[in-house]
Amino acid sequence: MNQDLILVINPRPVFTRIAIYQNYNILFLKDIQHPDQELGRFTHYIEQIEYRRDKILSELKANGICIECIQAVVGRGGLIKPVKSGIYEINDAIIHDLKSTEYGEDFVDLGGILAEEMKKIYPSMRAFILDPVTVDEFSELARFTGHPSFDKKSIFHTLNQKAIAKKHAKALMRKYEDMNLIVVHLGSGISVAAHQKGSVIDSNQVLDGDGPFSPERTGSLPLGDLVKYCFRSGKSEFEVMDMIQHKGGLYAYLGTYSALEVDARVNHGDEKAAKVFEAMAYQVSKEIGAMFAVLNSEIDGIIITGGVANSRWFVNKIIERVKNMGPVHVYPGVIELDSMAQVTLAALRGEEVILDYK
Amino acid sequence: MQACTNHILVINPGSTSTKVAVFQGGRSMFQQDIVHSEEELSKFEKISDQYEFRKAIILKVLKKNGVDLKCIEAIMGRGGLIHPVPSGVIRVTEKLKHDLRNSPMGEHASNLGGLIADDIARKLHNAVAYIANPVVVDEFDEIARIAGHPLFERKSIYHALNQKAIANEYARTHSKAYEELNLIVAHLGGGITVGAHKKGRVIDVNQGLDGEGPFSPERSGSLPIGQIITACFSGKYSENEIRKMVTGKGGLMAYFNTNDVRQVKTWAEEGNQKAKLIFEAMAYQVSKDIGAMFTVLSGEVDAILLTGGIAYNNDFTDLIANRVNKLARVHVYPGEDEMKALARIGTRVLLGELQPIEY
Repeated sequence: MNQDLILVINPRPVFTRIAIYQNYNILFLKDIQHPDQELGRFTHYIEQIEYRRDKILSELKANGICIECIQAVVGRGGLIKPVKSGIYEINDAIIHDLKSTEYGEDFVDLGGILAEEMKKIYPSMRAFILDPVTVDEFSELARFTGHPSFDKKSIFHTLNQKAIAKKHAKALMRKYEDMNLIVVHLGSGISVAAHQKGSVIDSNQVLDGDGPFSPERTGSLPLGDLVKYCFRSGKSEFEVMDMIQHKGGLYAYLGTYSALEVDARVNHGDEKAAKVFEAMAYQVSKEIGAMFAVLNSEIDGIIITGGVANSRWFVNKIIERVKNMGPVHVYPGVIELDSMAQVTLAALRGEEVILDYK
Repeated sequence: MQACTNHILVINPGSTSTKVAVFQGGRSMFQQDIVHSEEELSKFEKISDQYEFRKAIILKVLKKNGVDLKCIEAIMGRGGLIHPVPSGVIRVTEKLKHDLRNSPMGEHASNLGGLIADDIARKLHNAVAYIANPVVVDEFDEIARIAGHPLFERKSIYHALNQKAIANEYARTHSKAYEELNLIVAHLGGGITVGAHKKGRVIDVNQGLDGEGPFSPERSGSLPIGQIITACFSGKYSENEIRKMVTGKGGLMAYFNTNDVRQVKTWAEEGNQKAKLIFEAMAYQVSKDIGAMFTVLSGEVDAILLTGGIAYNNDFTDLIANRVNKLARVHVYPGEDEMKALARIGTRVLLGELQPIEY
């Protein structure tokens, strides 16, 4: 009995999100929680591979899903070499680079690794990753920082950005490859990217680089003051990195990572929350303006997506500033899972080119 | 006696020279750039120690050129790194002098301007000493001050004197008041600042000194912060070395060991691909900041003004204009004339058009 199922794996710090798709339909979705007492014994997420794999297997079995019917498994793409956008069949080189720290470390690396682990047990499955975080289509101009010792890297929410942009193009009955779009992903990190005829030619570097502050990240900081802080605050490198990546932004000002909680506080008249939330919208708007110049001030639209896009107050603060540039479209939430399943299906049917990672 | 009124003495100390000029009614009657050799300046440990030395030379030059000090009614000194002030002209007081001497924001030769101006004014009957639009002019909206972490704050440090002078000139030639216009002004010099002028106030600008924004002939502008932190903790660099990478030896200096934009352009024309790309990248980054300031002004912008020394380079201003000319009309005001800008402010004070502010 071949049911042509596709398994999607998206690992998060404290849970693993899995989904089963058949054709375009989602049959099953689960966030497998990993409580502290279970994760506590691991010092590094790489040690969690077998633990998470077994959790996925038992979850599938417990829900009566025919594992043999799974034709392909697709994992969230992590930090590997800079690559072009698309779907990659997992090979030794991908696994090697996901496991090495050479291109950075993040939980998201587990996506491809877990997909490969499934394939090891069920060799008839094909294993893929789609649009890893390191997709790089930057123009040459976008790569310069302002000093040759530092380079600007392409690290942003490729998967969701591309998926939303393509969905939007489809809704307008146009081709993504014919459009110039600015896409804003509002998650725990925020990326604002310039999509020029199907390629992301510039984006802020969302991990530890630049751009607006976000629920958990500081974004750009005044350089001179940051240098002074590194040398004189007595903090370790780890502490400063942790501050800019995980303890900055909304969390640093308001003590919460939840933009929707901040939205609620604003609605209850909390002035400090309003000031900080508006400043975040202000910085996002400035980044949109910068990308407008990148696209020579000719765009087909601005797309706002991600979880924080559920806050109307926040989105309206952005729209007030950017509405002169072009039509603004809002798609709250993320469609990563749908996109992973759909592209995998297209790849299996020969409608999407499967790329080779070297 | 009638002709001998309303003279304005302008004193603008730079790192290696002191510019002096005398104006009447907006016209320059005398101007000289007094160059100080490294040998002369090396005798002084701190910039503030150069005070007597520079003052004596100025007086000597003025005397030698037959400048009648009795005619001078206002002495305009270039303002320095003091506490943040509103835009405008500030009378030199004891409190201001204290900060010019002690430089709470860091030493800079321009701090000497107000001190020397005051000293000369004291010897004269009619003259009053002022400084105007120092780099620390601060008219930010509250929202622009927030950085991304409460330990850090965005500050207003920029080429206020030239930005304001050019914005006012645009307003004058378009028969508008500066206070009724929304303008984006990009000062393109050794450092680059792009300011959002909203009805007479600069509500946001990249912090051009060591903060953020496009790279420039001598400064790096924004750099990826994670990589900066790694460099700071690497043990390979001292704090001062990293500061030098950001200010002084960043930007074109770092890529080509020259701060001469014309030279880089020449290499580009001779086929040097790297020179071509980096020349374009600098314009690209300036354009991005102009786009950012467009949203600061909610998309309502009367004009974009490009000024400073690099604005003499048409290829450079064209690269910017091609990206941003759909936002608003682009006007180019090459060069910067700090002496004229200071004199013009002095004239307005003498005419009673401009009220000096308290420091």
